[in-house]
Amino acid sequence: MRRRIAIVEDDPVIRANYADVLKKSGYEVAAYGDRGEALAALRLRLPDLALLDIGLGDEVDGGFTLCRELRTLSATLPIIFLTARDGEFDTVSGLRMGADDYVTKSVSLPHLLARVSALFRRADLAREPAVAENLLERGPLKVDINRFVVAWRGSDVDLTLTEFWLVHALAKFPGHVKNRDQLMAEAHVVVDDSTITSHVKRIRRKFGAVDPQFDAIDTVYGMGYRWKAEKS
Amino acid sequence: MEGRKKLSFFAAPGLRAKIALVALVLLVIPLVGYSYVKSVERLLRDNQQRQIVATARAVATALQDRPRLLELRASAPATENPPRAVKAATEEVQLLLAGLARSGLRIWVVDSKLNLVAVAGSLDTLPPASADEYTFGVLERLVHRALRPVFERVLRVPAAPAEEFIPNDVVFGGREVERALDGSPAWRLRPAPADRGVIFSAAHPIWVGPTVVGVVVVEEDTDAIVWLRNRAFEQLVAVTLIAFTAAALVLLLFASRLSWRLRRLRDEAENAIDSQGRVQALVAGGHARDEIGDLSRSFSTVLGRLAQYNSYLEKLAGRLTHELRTPIAVVRSSLDNLRLQSPSPETAVYVARAEDGINRLETILTRMAEATRLEQTVRSGERERFEARIVLAGCVEGYRAAYPARRFDLALTDQPVMLRGAPDLFAQLLDKLAANAADFAAGDSPIQISLARATSEAVLRFVNTGPALPAEMGGKLFESMVSVRKERAGGAPHLGLGLYIVRLIAEFHGGRVSATNRPDNSGVVFELRFPVAA
Repeated sequence: MRRRIAIVEDDPVIRANYADVLKKSGYEVAAYGDRGEALAALRLRLPDLALLDIGLGDEVDGGFTLCRELRTLSATLPIIFLTARDGEFDTVSGLRMGADDYVTKSVSLPHLLARVSALFRRADLAREPAVAENLLERGPLKVDINRFVVAWRGSDVDLTLTEFWLVHALAKFPGHVKNRDQLMAEAHVVVDDSTITSHVKRIRRKFGAVDPQFDAIDTVYGMGYRWKAEKS
Repeated sequence: MEGRKKLSFFAAPGLRAKIALVALVLLVIPLVGYSYVKSVERLLRDNQQRQIVATARAVATALQDRPRLLELRASAPATENPPRAVKAATEEVQLLLAGLARSGLRIWVVDSKLNLVAVAGSLDTLPPASADEYTFGVLERLVHRALRPVFERVLRVPAAPAEEFIPNDVVFGGREVERALDGSPAWRLRPAPADRGVIFSAAHPIWVGPTVVGVVVVEEDTDAIVWLRNRAFEQLVAVTLIAFTAAALVLLLFASRLSWRLRRLRDEAENAIDSQGRVQALVAGGHARDEIGDLSRSFSTVLGRLAQYNSYLEKLAGRLTHELRTPIAVVRSSLDNLRLQSPSPETAVYVARAEDGINRLETILTRMAEATRLEQTVRSGERERFEARIVLAGCVEGYRAAYPARRFDLALTDQPVMLRGAPDLFAQLLDKLAANAADFAAGDSPIQISLARATSEAVLRFVNTGPALPAEMGGKLFESMVSVRKERAGGAPHLGLGLYIVRLIAEFHGGRVSATNRPDNSGVVFELRFPVAA
């Protein structure tokens, strides 16, 4: 069965372009231009993944509203925010709405496809038990590469896709400094330095919520970040 | 700000000096007063003379047609013992004169042979001086006392003529007496002996029938009027001086307040736009209802507009980013689609070029977004204490790797340099400064980076050799979208946001930034001063 992706985007050209590329990649696409239309259609049939623009026509925060409404319909539906806005505030509120990822429209389509397939993989494998060879263990950190799940000292840390890729990139080679460009490549994003900084800040906060003593990510000023090698 | 002329009271005629000069007009008053006193003196003198003449006439009238009094004398032979009748007559005359004479006024009578018949009064006392009556009380007395030496030098001090006896030459040689003996009243002014003033004397004949039997002479010392005049003049000077001083003082206070307000307004207007282009509102005189308040308000209006314009410029980057992102997304997604269709090699070339262009456009957008994002971060402002030396040392290590063609010399202080802010942002600031220095440094000259401690400040310096800053750019360099770079074809785009970011971050840390040329114009010094966290 082909997977169904809903695109809610008010710009018809972008909508068509995204729809085209997703169709070519073998997905079934349902494209909507405004929130009311999208919600009415999605209520009848939930998609397997939703790509939402934040500003929808006259509704400045239409995407946020739609995201909340979709979350009430399904707690597990993967949602990606796709937007022209990249302010810190928008990012944070978008992720608080329960989105799985937040990318700016400048993301290239291959990067977008990588995200989409990753989220599908995560959704598929969520219910299956972890397979040992796909587990990356770094002391108290467990990274399930297939299911995109990260656990710290036994508790799951709820990361977005981008954050997951960043943690994975850092933890793969503990003690090695990853500079920002490398991290961007690993996370399939093209953003400015300060976005990486705020991503890392958010990752630290999320780990910190699980374990207040968390300090495994080192900032190496002028170079990048490093996952602390276990001392044991 | 340098080269601004401070107006001082002495160097250039400021408002206060001018108003004080205007107050000098008051000094005309003593001159006018002096001529007034002079005319009053003349009036008094006339009056005095008329009075004396009248007195002489009255006495003469009282004695005329009383032949017994003088005729007896005239006919009687001059003997050692005058007859009783003569003696009685003399006493009567004496009595009459004594009733009229007073201190300072002398009356005497001579008969037709110029024998002195009677004398009353004397000239050797001054009129009673009411010296201690001052209209303006203590103040005037003080001024008066202070000015006394001046007055004594300028004005003649009246003195009693000290003429105890009537000089013979007055009796025998006096013109007025001779003319009175000839039958007509006369007067004259004669100098008192020893140059002690002027004596006015009036003579009037005493008639008995058609013959003159004697002469009445009334004399008065004119210094009484001189004394009065002096007194009036002194008072005038003293009062004028007091009034002038008081007026000048009030004017000076008023002018001082005016010039203080104006100066405050000027200072505020000058500092209303700081070196980083931010506009502050004026407060000086904002509520005053006079012209200065008006000026202040219109200044404020102008500055307000400037501030609006500035903030429009600062927001421009953010707005542009946002507006451009959608069309770029259109182009990029179209190109991506095109490429996924596996185009022919010829088409692929153009797709690649278009992608290159869109990538560059995106770099610009990313940079612009960086500044906007930073503005937001800085506004939300979470601060922590951190050691700047560690951040700087790490960063410089990174730059040596990132710019292999450049040399970086680092000089760190031994003292701890704790700052309040965000180490990530501080590193971003260093990145921008390093990138800037690396772009401009000439040849293989090293970029000198130093972090030093001043008393309560940390001083960070980036020094590179290379082209000097144009003089007019000094303050604007740290504004949004200002760049001194020459356009370079094909190079990375320069938006003039790097140093704006430096400024934003420096301010977030409570610091100040400045860019100056090296003294010999061989390069540029970026200096940042941060308050050190306790």
